[in-house]
Amino acid sequence: VSDSPARDLSGRPVEYDPGPAAHECAYCGRPFTSEELLALHRGHTHPEELSAAELAAFEEAYEAEAEAIRLFRLKAIGLLVALYFGFLIVYAVV
Amino acid sequence: MSDARRALARSLAAAVCAVAAALLARPVVAHGGSLGAQARSSLSTPTWLVLTTGGAAVGASFLLASVVTDRGFIRSVDGWRHALPAPGRVARALVRAAGVLGLAGTLAVCLLGPDSARPTVGPNLGLLFVWVVWWAGYTMSTYLVGSTWRALNPWRTLAAVLPTLDEPYPDRAGVWPATGALLALVWLEVVSPVAESPRVLGGVVVAYTLVTLTGAVVYGSETWFERADPVSRVFDHYGHVAPFGRDAGGVSLRLPGAGLSELPVSDRSEVGFVVALLWVTTFDGFVATPAWAAIADTLSGVGVPLSALYPVALLGGFGLFLGIYLGASSASKRLADTRLTAAHLGRRFAPSLLAIAAGYHLAHYLAYFLSLAPSVAAVATAPLAPPTRVPVLALPGWFETVGMAAILLGHLLAIWVAHTTAYELFPGRLQAIRSQYPFIAVMVFYTMTSLWILAQPEVVPP
Repeated sequence: VSDSPARDLSGRPVEYDPGPAAHECAYCGRPFTSEELLALHRGHTHPEELSAAELAAFEEAYEAEAEAIRLFRLKAIGLLVALYFGFLIVYAVV
Repeated sequence: MSDARRALARSLAAAVCAVAAALLARPVVAHGGSLGAQARSSLSTPTWLVLTTGGAAVGASFLLASVVTDRGFIRSVDGWRHALPAPGRVARALVRAAGVLGLAGTLAVCLLGPDSARPTVGPNLGLLFVWVVWWAGYTMSTYLVGSTWRALNPWRTLAAVLPTLDEPYPDRAGVWPATGALLALVWLEVVSPVAESPRVLGGVVVAYTLVTLTGAVVYGSETWFERADPVSRVFDHYGHVAPFGRDAGGVSLRLPGAGLSELPVSDRSEVGFVVALLWVTTFDGFVATPAWAAIADTLSGVGVPLSALYPVALLGGFGLFLGIYLGASSASKRLADTRLTAAHLGRRFAPSLLAIAAGYHLAHYLAYFLSLAPSVAAVATAPLAPPTRVPVLALPGWFETVGMAAILLGHLLAIWVAHTTAYELFPGRLQAIRSQYPFIAVMVFYTMTSLWILAQPEVVPP
């Protein structure tokens, strides 16, 4: 997946928004909307080629995201519990 | 493609009576609105609660799937394959011969066999074969086991012996011809007696044969069956849901739905075909609801001809489903914060809808297939002089829950496929979760629509 430009399953080039991107991967040219997403992409797609600084950026972005993921999971579990008991009550009443 | 939806929601006693009555009154096993009308059981749970529960089940499954954020795990589940030996040349030649013989036999019995559209004539085997064995049973095999249509397709076998002009296929047309033909076939099925009259069915098969062979001669067999032929595209798409699939090395075993992430959807017309496949199963059920009867009555009351109403509803509903899906793609782009275009996201997420379509098909046809399979066996022993009374398998009352389960299972599979796709597309884990919100909302809408149709009493379409 390190070709540039990237191709999809049918062999056609992947479509990106026109215009220059502020954050572009130096290895494959894929554009991203933020430095964090670019750092994550480099870590996932080009793990062998990273410099020490890029590796540190990846780890930092990954850790920062882990915090948000924990919060999301908490909300998801809360929602599941609410759904479960909500339906339990509705079925008891109806 | 309508029938079995009703079989689903009807109780044991009602099913036996209705099927027996329908068979005695109209010897042909009908498709269309003639089987089991008004025979649905009434559910003890109120409809709104069934719908909300179904929608919530889909939403809750998404929440559960979203907890899985380990890329390595997701990739290993999706990528698991077990290579199997490819079928030999003899086996493929036998399958091809069976396909051509099946087509010839069906045509002969439809056109020359008993005309079961008339009373006191036993069921026509050709009619039973097309609707029960092929459209219900064989289609199920394509998504439950694997698609064999490429080898079995009698028109492909016939086209191989014909010369070809190899005209360039107009790329601008995309696969819209196949989408149009799929919608046209469904329209024909709903408004014409193609499900009751073996002569009409035979005529349709002859017409399809002429169109297909002409197309294959003009544009080349491979192009025609890959791009423009609706039947081949339907089975190929369903085949990607199945655990057995063709790949570069031959045949491989994979987890159900895992083949969908290998299905290339390369332009908007191919997205349109996927949505059309989903819509036609819904439309089929929709025209048999009292809601449709009321709309049709009102509109024909003010002078709108019924013949114009069906194509307008068919195309309008397709436009609505497609519009909703494309809208979800745009919303996904905004939520995911990505430079990928909305069109690209729409193409990548489209294959997950096929799992839903397969679930609908199973829900609509499993009971229909099982209950009529003994009839096919009985008629097959004497195709030219069929018995007027044929055996029907009585399914137990709990069987209706199998249909509901099939719809939910299809959605669960679709959610997992969408989850896998999102993790392939986006480097951020939260970004991948957010990108799915609009598609999950669309799936909840589709589930509730199909459950609503299932919960409606069955009426004969006006």
